[in-house]
Amino acid sequence: MTLTIRDKADALGTFRFVSVQLMETLARWVPTTPELEVKTLFGRHIWDLAQHADALGRRTFELRAALHYSRRPAAAYGRELDRLTAVTGTADRIASMYDVLLPDLAGRYDNYLKDADPLLDEPSVRVIARIVADFPRLRSDRAAVVGERGELAAPPRSTNGLRAIAQMVEFRPAGEVAAPEAL
Amino acid sequence: MTIEVGPTKVIDGVTLRRDPARESCFQVVDTDAQMQDWPGMSGEARREKLHRHMNNETGALEIAAKALADFPDAPWDLRMQLARQASDESRHALVLYRRLREIGGRKGEFPVANYEWGVTDMLDNLPGRLAVQNRTFEAGLIDLLGAMRNTWRAAGDATTADLLDGILADEITHVRFANRWIRRLTEEDPRILLKVALAVRFLARANAQLGPKPGMTNAAGTVITQERTAPPAVNVEDRLAAEFTEAEVLEVLNQAGFRSILPTPLKAARA
Repeated sequence: MTLTIRDKADALGTFRFVSVQLMETLARWVPTTPELEVKTLFGRHIWDLAQHADALGRRTFELRAALHYSRRPAAAYGRELDRLTAVTGTADRIASMYDVLLPDLAGRYDNYLKDADPLLDEPSVRVIARIVADFPRLRSDRAAVVGERGELAAPPRSTNGLRAIAQMVEFRPAGEVAAPEAL
Repeated sequence: MTIEVGPTKVIDGVTLRRDPARESCFQVVDTDAQMQDWPGMSGEARREKLHRHMNNETGALEIAAKALADFPDAPWDLRMQLARQASDESRHALVLYRRLREIGGRKGEFPVANYEWGVTDMLDNLPGRLAVQNRTFEAGLIDLLGAMRNTWRAAGDATTADLLDGILADEITHVRFANRWIRRLTEEDPRILLKVALAVRFLARANAQLGPKPGMTNAAGTVITQERTAPPAVNVEDRLAAEFTEAEVLEVLNQAGFRSILPTPLKAARA
């Protein structure tokens, strides 16, 4: 099925919303995470997620939406993002972000790439392909930190509920369009 | 936009933001007198300098990250700069930690203080935080790093000197974006100038009350002399690169008693 311009803008706007929310979650965690290695892991990845959001937001403007158009995801998915923000223990934070949310997001980017027309929608495909190319590095950065701080590899307690996010088929909401974010 | 300030602590009559999270290996203190600081470049003094700097960079990361979290309605391009700064400060903390270990140090070897966080995160608005953290503390770091890289090189440690020079280049960009954004935001809304002025006044009050005083003895037994409390030589060239105006640099030079790491006149430095 061919994606309409509106579909494409909504999809990229939703990816942008999620990227910004994950960036803010890492930012919120930085001062309240004691371990230097983890604090700096989150700090470095804030910039990755900001760049993803920026690239997506510039592309939405080319798709006849606002510059940096952001669209709230489906309600259930949004609730999981809110739950993520509330996670407290360091091992749980790492597991929730790097073992659950980011892999789920990577899968949703991959699905978009499968559905997109690589020629007609080439600019979006390139933006997303560049984003997806960052994910292995995010994973390896996480592995390096956990390798150095073995105690953080302990089985996480609070990710079980979050794992349900992978079963959520609905990512983008149907219906009304969210207001564009402040520029 | 303003926000509610979080939990606080009171130190010598000054209300500061409560400390960010630190590992239990760190002894977190509140004042300069509780810090250990040795004159010269002995092994202990070198490790303490790197350890202190590592924690300061960690604090700068925390301040930038908190600003991203606290001010979601700030202009996106400004948020991008803060996100980049968070990443830069993370790298700085990590390279300093790496170097600390290379010269035989360890995390928690010396006390640490989170003064910059304590002051900056008392402010409920982003222009005020940029004025205090980026435009004052980090601008001070431009001066300090300009001097310290020469001190380390003179002490025969080119590795650390080069590392500090790399950090200095990044800090210039952090000060520059703050200068640009404060200018832009105050042009758009002159009332922001008042917030900036109040923030700088709060910092001045905190410094006057909590700053090191000549005659004090710190936790390492070092007596704090007049010379040790003097600001470092003004790094004119890099302050200009960070887009302070010539008048602003001259004002800092005045405050520092015209000590400059550059022998050239100000205008020549700019050229």
